[in-house]
Amino acid sequence: MMKTMSISVLGIIVGVVLVAILPPFLDGIARKVKARIQYRVGPPILQTYYDLQKLFGLPSLRPTENKWFRVAPYLALASAFSAAFLLPYGKWVPVKFSGDIVVFFYVLAMVSVAIIIGAFSTQNAHSNIGGHREMMMVLSVEPILGVALGIFAFKAGTLSLSAIPLKVPASFSTVLAYLLLIYAAYAESGFVPFDIAEAETEIAGGVLVEYSGRLLGVLEYAILAKRLVLLWLLSTFLTIPILRGIALTGVVGGIVVLAVQLILVLVAYPLIAALEATNARYRIDQAVALNTRIFLLSLVVLAVAAVGW
Amino acid sequence: MVTKECLAEFEDKFKGEIREKKFLTPTQILYLVDKKDLPDMAYYLQYHPEFDESYYVMGIGSDERQLAGKFAYAPVINMLDGSGKRENFYVILKARLDKDNPEFPSVAQKLPAALWAEREVRDLLGFKPLDHPDLRRLITPEDWPEGVYPLRKDHAYNASPAGELQDGYKKAPEDTSTVPIGPYHMALDEPAHFRLFVKGEEIVDVDYRGFYSHRGIEKIGEGRLTYNQIFYIAERICGICGFQHSSAYAMAVENIAGVEIPARAQYIRTILLEIERIHSHLLWAGVACHLVGFDTGFMYAWRIREEPVMWLAERLTGNRKTYGMNIVGGVRRDFLDYRKTEILDKMKQLKKDVEKLYNIAVSSDILIKRAKDVGVLPYKVAKDYGVVGPTARASGRNIDVRRDHKVFAYKDVDFDVPVYKDGDVLARLLVRLDEVLQSISIIEQAVDQMPEGDIFTPIGKLPPYQEALGYTEAHRGEVIHYVLTGTNNKVYRWKVRAPTYNNLAAVPEMLKGYRVADAPLIIASIDPCYACTERVQIVDVKTGKVKALNEAEFNDLSIKASEEL
Amino acid sequence: MEDVKISYTESLISWKRPDLRVGVPVTVKYPLVPTEKPPEYRGKPHIDPNVCIGCGACVRACPADALTAEWDLENGLKSIVSNPARCIRCGRCEEACPTGAMKLTLEFELATPNKEDLVEVVEHHLTKCKKCGDYTEFTERQVEKAFQILPKEIVDANALGEKMQLCRECRMEESVKILAAQGRIIGDPLLLPPQHAKGGEK
Ligand code: SF4
Ligand code: SF4
Repeated sequence: MMKTMSISVLGIIVGVVLVAILPPFLDGIARKVKARIQYRVGPPILQTYYDLQKLFGLPSLRPTENKWFRVAPYLALASAFSAAFLLPYGKWVPVKFSGDIVVFFYVLAMVSVAIIIGAFSTQNAHSNIGGHREMMMVLSVEPILGVALGIFAFKAGTLSLSAIPLKVPASFSTVLAYLLLIYAAYAESGFVPFDIAEAETEIAGGVLVEYSGRLLGVLEYAILAKRLVLLWLLSTFLTIPILRGIALTGVVGGIVVLAVQLILVLVAYPLIAALEATNARYRIDQAVALNTRIFLLSLVVLAVAAVGW
Repeated sequence: MVTKECLAEFEDKFKGEIREKKFLTPTQILYLVDKKDLPDMAYYLQYHPEFDESYYVMGIGSDERQLAGKFAYAPVINMLDGSGKRENFYVILKARLDKDNPEFPSVAQKLPAALWAEREVRDLLGFKPLDHPDLRRLITPEDWPEGVYPLRKDHAYNASPAGELQDGYKKAPEDTSTVPIGPYHMALDEPAHFRLFVKGEEIVDVDYRGFYSHRGIEKIGEGRLTYNQIFYIAERICGICGFQHSSAYAMAVENIAGVEIPARAQYIRTILLEIERIHSHLLWAGVACHLVGFDTGFMYAWRIREEPVMWLAERLTGNRKTYGMNIVGGVRRDFLDYRKTEILDKMKQLKKDVEKLYNIAVSSDILIKRAKDVGVLPYKVAKDYGVVGPTARASGRNIDVRRDHKVFAYKDVDFDVPVYKDGDVLARLLVRLDEVLQSISIIEQAVDQMPEGDIFTPIGKLPPYQEALGYTEAHRGEVIHYVLTGTNNKVYRWKVRAPTYNNLAAVPEMLKGYRVADAPLIIASIDPCYACTERVQIVDVKTGKVKALNEAEFNDLSIKASEEL
Repeated sequence: MEDVKISYTESLISWKRPDLRVGVPVTVKYPLVPTEKPPEYRGKPHIDPNVCIGCGACVRACPADALTAEWDLENGLKSIVSNPARCIRCGRCEEACPTGAMKLTLEFELATPNKEDLVEVVEHHLTKCKKCGDYTEFTERQVEKAFQILPKEIVDANALGEKMQLCRECRMEESVKILAAQGRIIGDPLLLPPQHAKGGEK
């Protein structure tokens, strides 16, 4: 599987820089947009950086001897970064090999798994309920994401994540797969109405409740990074098929594609914020019911794709 | 008066037990009765076939050893005719209890509404309700010594003895795990402790432990203040319905003094009561939105609460929240003339804003999904527990003190009392939003019709050892104050019953069978006000807190000191 | 699939904001910009030391013990002490004050590291007893004011002109003497007078 592995140093640099810098900035934009919808001035755009900076400077309380409690946030962050390395940035793909789509799928799930491990490593009832909810969410959303990616891979005839957008044909089933992907990315990111695992007003932060200081900072950072990865995946899948012609033509083309990807992300985030601001939170059973319905729908789409539409 | 013939049957049935009958006011009847048949009498009145909306209001315990050589326990029943044909009235069944052995047959064995009241008199006065189903501590903290009864007259108002720590929690049912909500929790604005016994996410049983923030207000009122100074502490019983409390107290004292307050004062009180209601309902709507993660609704509700409502309150009374307007005999300040048009303008603006809020809230499918068929409180349970206010009206109870007892200027204005049958959280939301629109209309009418004239009838010395009730319909339900005057312009016994006292007791019933995720919303749906409920006794708040944290569960966790990673 | 959300997006679009401030946030940069204070506002109480006569009516009315009277009978001083940190802004003192010296101001920004900074003290000199030379419980201004406002007939009828110059003990003695002279008290007048006004209210 690894025999065709290729590594782009430039891609790694771009990826690291983006994933390291962008998530708190995007969160800042979202906070500002939400504030404006609610007639507030809102915090400065850079507020999330300040928050994280503060958290990183604070020691963490340890509610348990369980070492997984300390490992989990770093595991989550590492997983989010690993997933980011499999995505194309303009022309450059940090790490690419045939079958990396499977790895992408797993490392993305690993973020949630790490959060769940952290949540269950303490005896706090709120934390456990949060972990339980996160698990239900992962189990019901990941299949949708899997099917959507599967359809793309099937249509494009490749198992390399970065190669799919270059090859995927326009067809009825791919259009539906896009919709599935949008839904799955949104739900998986835990935006309202899917912020069920944290649900501050119900279970006091759920999976996050026992975390504090630096560990909390790392965990929040991992969650933000995961959101960026999902959004970047989406923007890649939208941008590259359209700009396929110039995507591989030299440095300039690569930069143009990168810029378009970035702009798409910057545009999508405020829209998501607006959606968040105008929604209430689902109860876990309602969310799971909705996810199940959409999963069944996705199977239909898969069948459509298999038929060749 | 229709009341006579309706009561004839009652008086006939219990003729052997009734010692004396007294009209405190034309609509407040006090029976001095033998304690033996207290449960039957209360049951008979609550389930009176003609007064079908009647309910058990409160149980007053008082130490009248200095007056009559005995203790007194007095359940109060609000006699309401749902059809509106008969005049409604209050019945107080006062039973004297032996000074050395204050036993009485528990009313709670027949009426769940009396469960808390009788635990309260046990805690505070040392009464012994016989055959009470659940006599755990309610009010005194876990380390309060046995045999010390703070509301007895021989207990100093500032004495706070220490005792042994006891465990007062319900045992968790088999195969359940415990999810604590509180004593501190985002969804609770004040300390309170719900222990949810859950299987998975489903709530099987609930234990409530509260009264962490008692301030001993009744005792202070009885011991230290004069009747005109009590207003300022009555107003501070609650940060939301302060004016309701001060008006109810004023009404009780005015009933004793036998004065009719000037019409203009009645109108001013009415307007302010309604402004307070609007502010409270908007605040609540915001919190409800916040609890389901719908923050835009939250911000919107609070914004319109701030701009026209609190803004207006500040201009009419001199403060956003503690109005300080009441005095026995009327109100202390008049509105400035030019404020009249301002009120009307702001009400117009508010009406638009509230309709918008209504649209936002109702058009949010998820909000509706989260609130519908959740936390259902059936009519029968609502009646059994004597639930009041919007919580009761959302369960089909057609009760509203403003209309039923014609307090203040409400008799002169037209308004509807919204009643919903469903009994779920959504119904409670809708009742409140409807009420806001009704309140706006009440204010508009009152401002239009407001008569000129005095705002205050002076009264001199209060007659000693007279008693009466005062009541208003607060945002959460009936607020009722009982006052027994003492000598020297002091109050001998002042009993306050806030609406949450009745509503909270029914919350465990609403929670059973629903999910943990619903719990904060259900608890919040009665708009609980712990400060109101917990006014009764002096408690060392510090020990209360420490005990709460000392629970075995938190012990196990024993949070270790921070450690660099 | 996104159909669930359409209704919110729609409601967001159809949701008309108040015309005056489309998109303008309502957040006020409060400490940086002043807020409007209505004339009715009840803020920190303030005693005008030039008008106050030290009668203590406000002290008796205050339900929160924010106002106290302090006596220094050695040096003939009575101070009215107002502690706004205890004050609940009820306005009873303003109603009780006979001279209008006590007013609730519009001031409400009272944050301070030291609550003592807020305390206001108005010092009054007590008059001296014409007879024994001790200080009486009346302030100089109180006596002055009493003569100003009381009609002359009442002053004369009750011999207040005399009485107000005496301390409580001497006044009692005087009254007892007068009453005894009129035959309304039987027994030794000197056994009856109460305590001298040492200590005072608080
Ligand atoms: S406003 Fe009220 S509390 Fe404050 S000083 Fe005056 S009387 Fe006392
Ligand atoms: S009531 Fe007025 S005059 Fe008398 S002491 Fe108080 S402030 Fe001074």
